[in-house]
Amino acid sequence: MQPLRIALAQIAPRLGLLDENLAHHHALIAEARTGGAGLVVFPELGLTGYLLQDLAAEVAMRLDDPRLLELAAATAAAPGSANGDTPASGGISAIVSFVEESADHRLFIAVALLEDGRVRHVQRKLFLPTYGLFDERRFFAAGDLLRATPSGLGIGVGLSVCEDFWHLAVPQLLALDGAQLLVNVSSSPGRDLAALNEVGLGTATSWRTLLRTYAQLTTSFVVFVNRVGVDESISFWGGSEVIGPNGDAVFSAPLYDEGLYFVDVDLGDVRRERIALPLLRDERLELAIRELDRIVSERAGQTEDSTAEQGAEPGLDVAAR
Amino acid sequence: MSAVGGPRAVPDGAGLFDLPPELAIDTDVARRVIIEFIRGQLRQAGFERAVVGLSGGIDSALVACLVAEAIGPEQLLCLMLPYRTSAAASRADAETVIRQLGCAGDLVDISPMVDAYFGWPESGVVGAAGTEGLIASALRRGNVMARIRMTVLYDRSVTWSGLVVGTSNKTESLIGYTTLFGDAASALNPIGDLYKSQVRQVAAAVGVPEAIIRKAPSADLWPGQTDETEAGFSYPELDRLLYWLVDRRRSVEELDAKGFAPERIAWAMKAVAGSEFKRQVAPIAKLGPRTSGVDYLYPRRRPGSART
Repeated sequence: MQPLRIALAQIAPRLGLLDENLAHHHALIAEARTGGAGLVVFPELGLTGYLLQDLAAEVAMRLDDPRLLELAAATAAAPGSANGDTPASGGISAIVSFVEESADHRLFIAVALLEDGRVRHVQRKLFLPTYGLFDERRFFAAGDLLRATPSGLGIGVGLSVCEDFWHLAVPQLLALDGAQLLVNVSSSPGRDLAALNEVGLGTATSWRTLLRTYAQLTTSFVVFVNRVGVDESISFWGGSEVIGPNGDAVFSAPLYDEGLYFVDVDLGDVRRERIALPLLRDERLELAIRELDRIVSERAGQTEDSTAEQGAEPGLDVAAR
Repeated sequence: MSAVGGPRAVPDGAGLFDLPPELAIDTDVARRVIIEFIRGQLRQAGFERAVVGLSGGIDSALVACLVAEAIGPEQLLCLMLPYRTSAAASRADAETVIRQLGCAGDLVDISPMVDAYFGWPESGVVGAAGTEGLIASALRRGNVMARIRMTVLYDRSVTWSGLVVGTSNKTESLIGYTTLFGDAASALNPIGDLYKSQVRQVAAAVGVPEAIIRKAPSADLWPGQTDETEAGFSYPELDRLLYWLVDRRRSVEELDAKGFAPERIAWAMKAVAGSEFKRQVAPIAKLGPRTSGVDYLYPRRRPGSART
């Protein structure tokens, strides 16, 4: 048994009110510790709210911002206590999200792993949706690095933000890079109200399908934390989940209800699943790289597209008609 | 409220009205989203109370029910704003809603204000608009009535310390069957993304009186007027057409292949395009470095925006 208690902070951040949201994070980290959690996960932009527009620059923090460091300090074991003396005195891992301003003044949507009183790892959002009701690329820069990170939980962790999980490569790369626990923090706006699906909301149904599929294909735990509440016209639907490495849901939080939800998992499930279903062992990275290199080169018109019809433009497999 | 979501065998209000299958929605989810939306909007604006203009029709009855559920009936003021030609049955239906909800209700007869402007054609007495006002079209008269109702709602929102909650649905908004700065004016609109067929479905779920759900929708500007005879469309047909055109991005050819009549498609597309101005704020001539709505972009409910 490698038991881990995860606390899912399905909260409704206050738009643009950094100080209030920081105070709420401090309170929930304390509550998660008291509840015996080893990991607490907050949603995308939980410290700032989502629909920021020009507020983004006003709530941005550098990674050495004292407010962020103070939040990180709240994850440390109580001074003088052996780690794990009592649930509240032991340390905790916290995953939080905010607007990060880089040294060259770009603004990123960032998610950070806070552990042992410090900022252990930062992942910048890679894919910024700018279509439909989304306008993220207008206000933010996209991250360029994707890295799994070791963690105090004893396993590798892979962080991602919302839209990152709508790109197949992200969960796969994180798992191949050593993550056994994939975390996606989201501010997913509910839309496409429907009568004829399992949860009455098209967005939720799509996400539930993705999360189960990724957990199974990467044989990893998937932790999804989505916010609730309202920013302007948009309502966020919650529905945070923990999916086991066999693709089955361990826990599904209710839609729209704010709360701190505790979920117990056995991290030993990863080993069992990976022994039984060695998909990651059988991955063909060199094959993927070779074919990706070919596609990139063909799309750029540097080599002839070997899979295209006669007369197709570079990168397009089908000829114009 | 119980757990949200899950498929249901029979849509709400089955038998009460014609519900095209593609327009069926999970009313538990819709209700939950709308309730939280109303609460969130009021809280973020620093208000606890709301004002709704109640016509006796289904849209405003539904909005009143949803607001009462969200913030409690004691925080809601419903205003009935009839003109002297408005149907007596409309007022009776509005009174039923107020009684059922147990909210505050008040009646303001707008006839003296409307007549003071257009005059009294029956007796030839001229109003502020002069002799020309005596022959004003039904359209002009209807627009002025809608804007006077807006004026009263916003005035009473001050004494009630509440926000004006809008009652325009998606169907009438898309075809422009609204009066700019009249019924289209509000601080928030909880049902503006629901087609009329969906309004009916949610109305059935929240307990709007059946008589209100069943009766033919009408602007109630003259006796016997109904939306559907004016538009030459039934709401289920119009809702379906708008759903496929707008929500599902179907082309004219694709709509045609779905069996919609070409003249109906043309009428709807013209109505939607021709009313675009009613759904947007007026353009500002760009001159400076930062211009509202262009490159000065803040959420309406930004920090410090709430009334204190």
